Amino acid sequence: MYTYIIKRLMGAVPVILGVIALVFILTTIVPGDPARLMMGQRGDPETIELIRKEFGLDKPLWYQFIDFFRRALTLDLGKSYRNNMLVTQAIIERIPVTAKLAAFSMGIAVILGVTFGIISAVKQYSWLDYGSMLVAMLGISAPGFWVGLLLIVLFCVKLGWIPGTGTGEGELIYYVLPSITLGVRPAALIARLTRSSMLEIIRQDYVRTARAKGLSERVVVLKHALRNAMIPVITIVGIQTAYFLSGAIITEQLFSLPGIGRLSVEALINRDFPIIRGVILFMALLFVMINLLVDLSYPLFDPRIKYE
Amino acid sequence: MLKRILAVILVLMLVAGVLAGCGGGQQATEEPAKEEQQVAEKKDGKYGGIFRKAIGANPPHLDPVHATDTTSAMIIYQIFETLVGLDSEGNLVPLLAESWESEDGKTFTFHLRKGVRFHKTIEGGTPTANGGREVTADDWVWTFNYICDPETKSPRAYFLDMIKGYKDYREGKVDHLPGVRKIDDYTLEIELEYPYTPFISVLAYNAFNVLPKEDVEKWGDEFNFHPVGTGPFKFEEWVQDEKVVLSRNENYWMKDEEGNQLPYLDGIEFRVIVDHTVRWTEFNMGNFDGMQEVDDPYYHEAKEKYGDSFQERPMMGTYYYGMNVELEPWKGNKKLRQAMNYAIDREAMIDLVKNGRATPAKGVLPPGMFAYNPDLKGYSYDPEKAKELLKEAGYPDGINITLQYNTSDGHKRIAEALQQQYKAVGINMDIKNVDWGAHLDSVERSEVPLFRMGWVVDYPDPDNFLYVLLHSDNRGPQGNYTRFSNPKFDELTAKARVETDQEIRKKLYQEAEQIVVEEAPWVFIYHYTTHVLNQPYVKGYKLPSFGEYSAKYTKVWLDK
Amino acid sequence: METRPDLQKETTVTKTKNKKREGRSLWMDGWIRLKKNKLAMFGLYLVIIIVLAALFAPFITKYDPYTQLIWTEGRAAQLSPPSAKHWFGTDVYGRDIFTRVIYGARISLQIGIASVLISVLIGVPLGAIAGYYGGLVDDVISWLINVIFAFPFLLFVLAIVAYLPPSLIIMYVAIGVVNWASIARVVRGQVLSVKEKEYVEAANALGSSDFRVIFKHILPNVLAPVIVQATLRVGNVIMLEAALSFLGFGVQPPEPSWGYMINQGRQFLLAGKWWWSVFPGIAIMMLVLGFNLLGDGLRDALDPRLKQ
Repeated sequence: MYTYIIKRLMGAVPVILGVIALVFILTTIVPGDPARLMMGQRGDPETIELIRKEFGLDKPLWYQFIDFFRRALTLDLGKSYRNNMLVTQAIIERIPVTAKLAAFSMGIAVILGVTFGIISAVKQYSWLDYGSMLVAMLGISAPGFWVGLLLIVLFCVKLGWIPGTGTGEGELIYYVLPSITLGVRPAALIARLTRSSMLEIIRQDYVRTARAKGLSERVVVLKHALRNAMIPVITIVGIQTAYFLSGAIITEQLFSLPGIGRLSVEALINRDFPIIRGVILFMALLFVMINLLVDLSYPLFDPRIKYE
Repeated sequence: MLKRILAVILVLMLVAGVLAGCGGGQQATEEPAKEEQQVAEKKDGKYGGIFRKAIGANPPHLDPVHATDTTSAMIIYQIFETLVGLDSEGNLVPLLAESWESEDGKTFTFHLRKGVRFHKTIEGGTPTANGGREVTADDWVWTFNYICDPETKSPRAYFLDMIKGYKDYREGKVDHLPGVRKIDDYTLEIELEYPYTPFISVLAYNAFNVLPKEDVEKWGDEFNFHPVGTGPFKFEEWVQDEKVVLSRNENYWMKDEEGNQLPYLDGIEFRVIVDHTVRWTEFNMGNFDGMQEVDDPYYHEAKEKYGDSFQERPMMGTYYYGMNVELEPWKGNKKLRQAMNYAIDREAMIDLVKNGRATPAKGVLPPGMFAYNPDLKGYSYDPEKAKELLKEAGYPDGINITLQYNTSDGHKRIAEALQQQYKAVGINMDIKNVDWGAHLDSVERSEVPLFRMGWVVDYPDPDNFLYVLLHSDNRGPQGNYTRFSNPKFDELTAKARVETDQEIRKKLYQEAEQIVVEEAPWVFIYHYTTHVLNQPYVKGYKLPSFGEYSAKYTKVWLDK
Repeated sequence: METRPDLQKETTVTKTKNKKREGRSLWMDGWIRLKKNKLAMFGLYLVIIIVLAALFAPFITKYDPYTQLIWTEGRAAQLSPPSAKHWFGTDVYGRDIFTRVIYGARISLQIGIASVLISVLIGVPLGAIAGYYGGLVDDVISWLINVIFAFPFLLFVLAIVAYLPPSLIIMYVAIGVVNWASIARVVRGQVLSVKEKEYVEAANALGSSDFRVIFKHILPNVLAPVIVQATLRVGNVIMLEAALSFLGFGVQPPEPSWGYMINQGRQFLLAGKWWWSVFPGIAIMMLVLGFNLLGDGLRDALDPRLKQ
């Protein structure tokens, strides 16, 4: 088990190094001078030069790359060009909001997705099946920001159930709409996957045996089938969590949530390269960790899987 | 078995929960600040309370020395103060200097206000390093030295490059700025290299506030996150991308006419809501007392619904499409540039796309600006003339051009409308957007023949328009993006800089402007308006002609 | 936001196992199965209808998608509600929204198909090479795939689209370059499993060239999962364009892109002018739904295991 973890972590090292290289390339080949941008619409060349020097932009590219690489390995990500905040601090400040959003939207996705997936599978080809699968498909087919806006109009303006966007004084009710907006898609994916793997499993011998033994349908479904059906679901949860940032960018923008997604878009627009590099590195690390966690959780559902 | 499944789900959620938990601690520290907010108390018929304002972006800087944008300025105006201020009509008024005089336009003497103190506490009662001491001429001398110090890297230091010895100081030849001197504790003298009439206006710019040396030195780079000034409001809290909270400065020097302590408000909370639609929605829900930027889609509704508390007025700024006169097809082709100006129906565009929220531009200078020329011979909509000029310019079969603008829905709407009008006279204008950074960069490198640009004054003087944006010395990042160069124009605007007689200056500027209009390096489109939307119970808010962002909340109160 | 259909790798990899059948009969069987699947056929019809509308746009509507009627007809033509004259109403410039929705199908289909094609063109050869040759080549390509996966994809696309001059081509390429990894991963897995088959080994033993083996024996087996993947991707890419529009980096006006229309019209939604945003919104949902249903159906149809 531990050797497996260590092996996996070692395997992640070249990937992370690749990400570092790629992010550096992306942020250096783009046109536009960050130092110039800090001057506002007008600036004098002398100060621009001073700022370039401060950012280390006057150094040759290869030097900048090695310097960045060296620092990144020690998690020294530098300071934001824009407001001089430490990149690590800027990211840490944003984590709580995004993490809550991730937890809630994934929670919604798993609960809704698994429930409707099972119902669909058990009642295959019924109107309930077609109905929930169609809703799931629509959930995947609607642009997130559009769904979010309609939710705001409905629940904030028309019904008045939700006080507004942002995070208020930290009340959880502010996370309801963004979490739904973000959870719809994984919920639909999970529902469809649960359905298809349930269908597959229901046909298998041991489930038939269980049925033949005279166990109630409920026990059969929940005890035997669901457990096996969870494996693809766990996979999708893992992958969606990692790819969650892309959705969070849109959702946080729409719901004025000060999370990682907002941080990265603002940084992108303002050429705040240290922040962009930091966020991408952070997300890549998270991706690796989550994938590892997901893999480690497989044996819980299928004792045949063991890591040595 | 099911338990184990649940356990795993729980574990996954816990992992996220633990991460989320980091925020718990932060919120706990917010609590004391919250308790301190007093319930709105009655002050001689005027209520306090917290003013909640929705803004469109997170300010990058609360340190005035490094700020270059209007969002930052909006908050800086509340925390910090300059020597001279602008009233809501754009006139210079005393602020931390009670009066000033100059005989030759070269040496200025400022008589400082007594009893002005730096903030004693910020951030929920934490004492500041300066201890709330009084501001004296020493502080001003230190502040100007600090701003102009190359180590500080202030992007606005060059605004002060006419101060005597600026260059020597920047180059390290002298260890202090010789032009700024203390006469006594309450008298400050500033000497310039040459007479420069708009100098007082420059001092009203929001970068040149007095700073407490102790706190700046204590925090260093971090001063941005712990700003200390003399203004009506003190810094309390800044959650990046979410909100900036200010509280009342109970030791503020200003009193109202009846002798009541100002400001009336207990505090201001600026909340960042990026999306226009959401901002407008939440304002309507009553979640805010004021909001920035009512976008065109909601304009009519806002006017109807809020009446007088939706204020708007012309603002000193001009929106234009620049034609780089060193690049094809504009190079040496005045007629083509003029055709560009004749081809567009500004009135119709403003009416239909901007809801009439702008003044058609005939020239460079906006109305309300000193030397604005109401009799200027500008361009009107004349598609026939445009076609004719196009033919004379050597393009009888029309021309293909590309407009570059920086990404924004507003610019996009205008460009789409003008695109259609140009098409009607045979000018096929493609439009492409790039982000602001790439836009500025490529425009300044003289790579873009046709580009959108706008200018809103830093200080209310034609110098900030004509000299800065069109004088050949300022080609490139300093402001002359079209690379316009005209010896006569250069001479006129340079002369007006040092001229002290306002009547003569006016003539010089008007003559210079007429040259620009004739040469047409710009497509003159419109002059901006500024606006603000407050709830009807907001009282005492005057919309400044300098722009909504420059409003001070000293005398604002809530009647609810 | 984004499905990562690569998670189907576990299922697809094993699919063609033990089925040595002629390519044609597989396709015929697939088609017969597809025809039985009502939802998939519904998806197919949706896609066909939209493709036809896009092709014959000028014959369907008498308006031009670019003509702004406000200059000739004044305010009456501005944001006029749906009527007999303008079925879907007009936008703020007095352009006919029905017309723009019809023409917009061209843009959405173009972006969807072109960028997926690019990712297929990159992904299939790289995946096949990696799977077939293994060893160092495989290591390098797999590493590249993992790096792309660990990179937050929306930030990747944004970084390219935001900083480079806007054009449809750049958008295809940006999206294609990000998407190839998931195609390559599927292909690689598939090739790995096919490679071990007796007939491939036999072909190798008979001295067929690698080229011939790959094209004649391996690629046909890989085609089915690639088609499924690609179909599902198209829907995602169309949604991605809408998300880019929301952030301000979508297709340039005056091209009638749906994402751009939804996003511009969105601001008028609250003012009661719902038609500018809602009709293109429905259009996008229908097209994405069509591709997703079709993709799902194809997966079921081309997966012989379900044929029981």
